[in-house]
Amino acid sequence: MQIVAILAPLIVTATIVLTIGAVAFTRSHRIMAGLSSTGLVLALLGLIPASITVPIQVTPLYIVDGFGLFYMALILIAALISAILAYAYFETQSDYRAEFYILLLCATLGALSLVVCSHLASLFIGIELVSVPLYGMVAYAYRDSVSLESGLKYMILSGVASAFFLFGMALMFAASGSLTFTHIGQNPGGSQLLLLGVGMLVVGLAFKLSIAPFHLWTPDVYQGAPGPASTFLATVSKVAIFAALLRFFQTSPVAQNAWLHVLIIALAFISMLVGNLLALRQNNLKRLLGYSSIAHLGYILTAIAAGGPLAATAVGVYFAVYILTSLGAFGVVSVVSSPFTGTEASDLSNYRGLFRHQPTLAVTLAVMMISLAGIPITFGFIGKFYALLVAVNSGLWWLVAALIIGSAMGLYYYLRVTFILFGAYEGDAQKSLTESSSRTAIMALSLLAALVIALGIYPTPLIDLVNVAGIAVPA
Amino acid sequence: MNDAAQQSVTVWPLVLFFASAMGLVGLMIGLSSILGGRHNEKLGNEPFESGIRPTGSAHRRFSVQFYLVAIIFVLFDLEVVFVFSYAIAAPALGWAGYGAFIFFLGMITLGLIYEWRIGALNWAPKAPRQMRLEAIEINRARNLRGESTIDAGANHSPTLDQS
Amino acid sequence: MILVWLLLIPFVAGALCYALDSSRGQGASRWIALIGSGLILLIALALWATGNYHLTNAVQGTAQWHTQFQLEWIPSLGISFHLALDGLSVIMLLLTGIMSVLAVASSWGQPRNREGLFYANLMWLIGGVVGIFLAIDLFAYFFFWEMMLIPMALLVALWGHDGSSVAAKRAAAIKFFIYTQASGLLMLASIIGLVIVHYEQTGAVTFDYQALLQTSHGGAFGMVLMLGFFIAFATKLTTIPFHGWLPDFHTHSPSDSSVDLTGVLVKTGAYGLLRFALPLFPHASAEFAPVAMILGLIGIYYGAVVAFAQTDMKRFVGYTSIAHMGFVLIGIYAGTLLAVQGAILQLLASALSTAGLFLVSSQLYARLGTRDMRSLGGLFGLMGAMPGFALVFSIAALGMPATANFLGEFLVLFGAFAHWPVIVAFAAAGLILAAVYALYLLHRVYWGPPSIKTPTSGLASREYASLLLIVALTLIIGLYPASVLQVTTGTAHEIAHWFAGPVSAVSSSQP
Repeated sequence: MQIVAILAPLIVTATIVLTIGAVAFTRSHRIMAGLSSTGLVLALLGLIPASITVPIQVTPLYIVDGFGLFYMALILIAALISAILAYAYFETQSDYRAEFYILLLCATLGALSLVVCSHLASLFIGIELVSVPLYGMVAYAYRDSVSLESGLKYMILSGVASAFFLFGMALMFAASGSLTFTHIGQNPGGSQLLLLGVGMLVVGLAFKLSIAPFHLWTPDVYQGAPGPASTFLATVSKVAIFAALLRFFQTSPVAQNAWLHVLIIALAFISMLVGNLLALRQNNLKRLLGYSSIAHLGYILTAIAAGGPLAATAVGVYFAVYILTSLGAFGVVSVVSSPFTGTEASDLSNYRGLFRHQPTLAVTLAVMMISLAGIPITFGFIGKFYALLVAVNSGLWWLVAALIIGSAMGLYYYLRVTFILFGAYEGDAQKSLTESSSRTAIMALSLLAALVIALGIYPTPLIDLVNVAGIAVPA
Repeated sequence: MNDAAQQSVTVWPLVLFFASAMGLVGLMIGLSSILGGRHNEKLGNEPFESGIRPTGSAHRRFSVQFYLVAIIFVLFDLEVVFVFSYAIAAPALGWAGYGAFIFFLGMITLGLIYEWRIGALNWAPKAPRQMRLEAIEINRARNLRGESTIDAGANHSPTLDQS
Repeated sequence: MILVWLLLIPFVAGALCYALDSSRGQGASRWIALIGSGLILLIALALWATGNYHLTNAVQGTAQWHTQFQLEWIPSLGISFHLALDGLSVIMLLLTGIMSVLAVASSWGQPRNREGLFYANLMWLIGGVVGIFLAIDLFAYFFFWEMMLIPMALLVALWGHDGSSVAAKRAAAIKFFIYTQASGLLMLASIIGLVIVHYEQTGAVTFDYQALLQTSHGGAFGMVLMLGFFIAFATKLTTIPFHGWLPDFHTHSPSDSSVDLTGVLVKTGAYGLLRFALPLFPHASAEFAPVAMILGLIGIYYGAVVAFAQTDMKRFVGYTSIAHMGFVLIGIYAGTLLAVQGAILQLLASALSTAGLFLVSSQLYARLGTRDMRSLGGLFGLMGAMPGFALVFSIAALGMPATANFLGEFLVLFGAFAHWPVIVAFAAAGLILAAVYALYLLHRVYWGPPSIKTPTSGLASREYASLLLIVALTLIIGLYPASVLQVTTGTAHEIAHWFAGPVSAVSSSQP
């Protein structure tokens, strides 16, 4: 039973082993991409038998429940799209394409283990397993100094965050004598030490999630990293770490603390305003998306601040929104740019009049922008609706105000991008995207756009799914 | 005898050892600085090369990929720790533990095969042709200006000649 | 089911327009747009002619619908796709149908790039507006309320006034979008707050209008929730502190007067007040009524005075519509049967006369290449029948008897006088300013020394028919207002009923 429950991570592990073995003998890009995406699809299918067994405790470190499986599905989908994007992105490069998929699969495995962890030790292992391959992925375009720089930046700051996290863990262990989520803060003693520990843990996680004021690395890294790596960083790593944070806050007694509550509210408030404010004047689409992701994580933090079962639903829905739209937006950037035939096409001027020669990509990006802005008929509206619902329901009026002001500011830059897409064509000649690799990616992206609209009009299936996927509290 | 007294009994040789070690080192450095001769001539810091004035810097880059070898060594050496710990518990773990451990060793072997195949174990790998040509050009330019030369392939990953 | 058709037609037509954008040449998409908007108009006419909206003898306190349509949407939150139709919606639909036909007709001849996409946006905008007038589930209502912003913003940003720079058009579109979306989110927060209050009282989560009508919420919280609704609607209605988007929007919106759809756009705000803000929060609205009416009063004077200072004709018309909406606001918040009926009438009349003036100004621009009133003059007799139409619309805008505008203003003032004599007195004085600015426009543009030497081409038959239709409607409503009032009387009666108790309580406590 336990084996079945963790079938998906096992399949991903097997794929990693297979890929490393394969890369020793063939460096065919097509085979590597095919192998890794097949593995990810199989892992996705592996969630189906696993859903029968949940909830189940797998060793003291992991608990597989509906919540975990839902986020596993999100992560696997995002990883799959990233792999498809990578295939299109690296096709034009002559050397070293295979290792990217290994790194991607390793990080995916880390993410999968994060969403089911019920113990601080497994939480830490998961975070490192996500972060360490990401250093490599971010710096993967090593001939581009910007990519190298952003990789180094990410590594150093991520290391600092991990140090904070470890220190917090140690303090919590000292205070409560256990690393299991449900035991931390159970006995009343050592509350000062415990709070300090949780605070440091939150700081460490906030670094990784790029929540303001720990967001400084985000735009640089997003801008410098190769398209598929930015996509992965913005989606998989965020959703996995956030899911772990949510599980910690929902199951650990220490989360009931009022002081911690205020801290989370403050983080959410600052993130929403700072993210949107800084995005206003950006002329680089990747930086813009980076800042906007800060704001979106602020919206999601609202749900954590609120707490309760409705909050879990809200986070689930919002993350589905965030994943789909971020994949789409970063995906378009990734397809449009190709680093080895020039610089990354992430400047807004590269997108001027994209509708003229790449209507599918332009409409996809426009749909994603509108969805990020939270306008009805797209899935983004449903997400924003839930964030507002949770905030009003818990009477968090400060966050309601920040949400409204934030989205009003957000409109400015999202609409700006949208209008530029449809504007007059003034940009330089773009490379034609007729290679089969790009065509697969474009197809996947337009599928995402269709999904965003379909779920925006009829979100009930997804909401039901999220409602079923509750967090199990081990006895 | 109370706890504190017992601790002081076991600790004092350590303290003595530490103090005497520090004292010895301090004595050696202090005495030589007091007794040693001192001069401040201009050429005093030049390395002695049979009267020939040295050219270039001693801080040269070596093409030997020590760092890579070192990292690979550390990695595989660390795995040995797991072998030791398994060896202690082997009887208790039984056949299941044996199987798991064989799997673990298989993974390590796979890693070794991967490193071997991508050329990470080559002692001094050849750089790609373009880079070698480029290095020759740069060296020629630097020789003309009297600067130190560089080695091709020292500055990048050893895996460049695959693919 | 007819309601679903009303909603489906524009969306499907829009999709068709977009699909035909590249595959067929010029013209295919505009025919589809014309057929689509014509069908909406026909259905609305049929509903208006055949329906019986005299439901005054029905049980007071529950909304009475002529037809309904309900479908599960998000059951876990009690959200359903609930459409319903009553007299007020029929009238608004009729207006939408007329305006959309006029919009397609007036943009018929102009060549433009990506014509299919243009008409697609036009149809989707119409679809959103139809949705607003039909949706009765608050979630669905908000869905359409926000959804229509995208096509509107795209219309302005991409096909805006030829004379404006691209940056200015984009800025205007973004400004409009931010104003409406920020205020809209306030409304969404209020909707959620209302639902939560209802949940705490009854234990049922629902977004349905009828269920929420039964919610009682007093005190400060009820006021805050009501303000959320009011700000959203007031922004659309261009009530004074929230009107900032309108002038730029009118200046840069498409020159060939597909902009007269903005007439309908603005009217959605008044519809929202009538449908939601008042019935859902009768007590808070009654307490707020004096403030709202004073805002309306300020609007009347502000619109008139600022209009007077304008040089751009479209901007001018935009400000006069602010003044008209001041009367509407006073009528709505007076809350008596007569005043509400007057407000509805004034809405229609203002939409028609404003649309007429917009049409004229865009036709002027098409012929002379300018809308600057300083460089115009003496056009009477040089442009065929157009100045004559301009005269009629200006006179209608100033509220001459026999036009619909007169009746609307009269009913508003008459209905409000019993409770609010001071405000009515000031509002009536504002009518003088209306006469001044309307005549000033005529004087500047059509009299005086002629600015052009040779007569320009007269009106094309398409333009002539459009203008004639507007004139005819203005006169018909003005001379036979029962055609509208009979249909809306049920709704107005209900609003007056919801409002009567609290209003008399508030107004009697004030001098």
